Amino acid sequence: MRPTDFFRTLIAFIILVMLHYTLRPLLGWRAGPDFLVIATLLVAIRVRPGAAAVIGLCVGLVSDSVDVHVFGAGALAMSAIGFTASWLKAVFFADDVLLNALFFFLGKWAFDVIFVLAGHRGDAGQVAIQIFVWSPLSAAVTALFGLVTLLILRPVLRASPS
Amino acid sequence: MPPAARAYSRRDTVLFVSCLVAAFAAIQLPDRIRDPFAAALRQTLVAPLVALQSDAEQSRRSWLTRDMREAQRDSIALRAMSLDASLADNDRLRKLLGLGEALRWGFVPAEVLQGRGVGEEYTVVLSAGSRAGIRPFSPVVAPEGLVGMVKSVDPTMSIAIVWAHPDFRVSAMAVDGGAFGIVGAHLGGEPERYLLEMRGVPMRSTLKPGTLIVSSGLGGTFPRGIPVGTVIAEMKTSELWARTYLLRPAVAPADVSDVMVLLPARTTAGVQTVWKTGLHADSAVKSIVAAGDSLARLAAKRDSANAPRDTTQRRDSTAVTAPPVVPSPQREARPAKAPPPPRAPTTTTP
Repeated sequence: MRPTDFFRTLIAFIILVMLHYTLRPLLGWRAGPDFLVIATLLVAIRVRPGAAAVIGLCVGLVSDSVDVHVFGAGALAMSAIGFTASWLKAVFFADDVLLNALFFFLGKWAFDVIFVLAGHRGDAGQVAIQIFVWSPLSAAVTALFGLVTLLILRPVLRASPS
Repeated sequence: MPPAARAYSRRDTVLFVSCLVAAFAAIQLPDRIRDPFAAALRQTLVAPLVALQSDAEQSRRSWLTRDMREAQRDSIALRAMSLDASLADNDRLRKLLGLGEALRWGFVPAEVLQGRGVGEEYTVVLSAGSRAGIRPFSPVVAPEGLVGMVKSVDPTMSIAIVWAHPDFRVSAMAVDGGAFGIVGAHLGGEPERYLLEMRGVPMRSTLKPGTLIVSSGLGGTFPRGIPVGTVIAEMKTSELWARTYLLRPAVAPADVSDVMVLLPARTTAGVQTVWKTGLHADSAVKSIVAAGDSLARLAAKRDSANAPRDTTQRRDSTAVTAPPVVPSPQREARPAKAPPPPRAPTTTTP
């Protein structure tokens, strides 16, 4: 990655992390957008899978530090979706709106599934409701916000001509 | 796959597996290691983010509770407004109680229904009538002084004219008895319309501004000693043999909402001890208010209990202290039908 692209991606990443800790609590929705997942996916498709996994691990640890009961679950989930996103991007990638939305949707849902299962939160019924009701809703909202973010940050994220 | 790409791929895999191992290790960490680690993260790297989150949540709470806070603020403002009205009401009722306490018998309390139509500026409807013992020409009084006179009576209500009515007249005198005259409405322009004038004062009698004018008791309609007003200044008139004075009325009719109607027996018995007209007008009203103030009476009673016994003082205090029982209007209305109690002869009829 060229230095210009690196700084642009870094700026977008910081903006998304800030949004996660400002806009998300401000909205206060039960199924709110996850800007950390968007940020991780956004960075993951621009770096190698190994680096994406490390970035995912760090972001996950940061998010887990405020919820010590599931410490490590977020890191595991974020690391997994980071690596997978980066690897999938290497396999097939298209700059398509719907594909990006699907990408965010699946990324968020996968994150929630891993997070809930690894964190052992609640009984089987609660886990099922979380995975099949709230997580898809949250994933859809995240996909929507991810698309809006992509549209807004398009000038920043556009790769500089080589 | 070229060797470099394969090496890259292997490195990625190793990194990913390492991350997974680290994450699993973090999940399995015992509390004594995990908590300090998480705390260190919270206090360093995540601290600004946590602060941001806290601010955002506070903003959301403020946003969500704004309607409730606004409603609370409005309720407090409303309560504050009604508090002023309650204080004014309390003050008015206390004065009225004080007047009732001072009169003791022979009166009927009544509510005043102010006329607001054309030609009704100087008449009021009272909520008591002949069934309560009210008769035409009964004096209508307030704690501050004379309000007017009953003009016509129905069984349950009566109509009274206030002193501002052009037909109203009351025989009056200076409080020291130095000058007599007839007080009526001052029929001047609008600003002065709500003043009184005292006509027919002999040339030899001069009244200083501020002199209290009370009813003289002549004529039999109004008993002696009801405050009518205070002298403002002498008026220039064409009359050469008598003086005319402009008076500030003791009662503003617009502010009157409750009054006492004196019954014929009470009018005959007199009310000279009620307003204590030897005092200044303000002091007279204050003494009436004090009689209605149960707290003040209690304090006075406590003081007198604590004070050393002095026969002279006791005699004085018994002469002026109102009895502790606050009269109920219904109870006080009864003596109108029956003759006045034996306490009445202490007052004199003019």
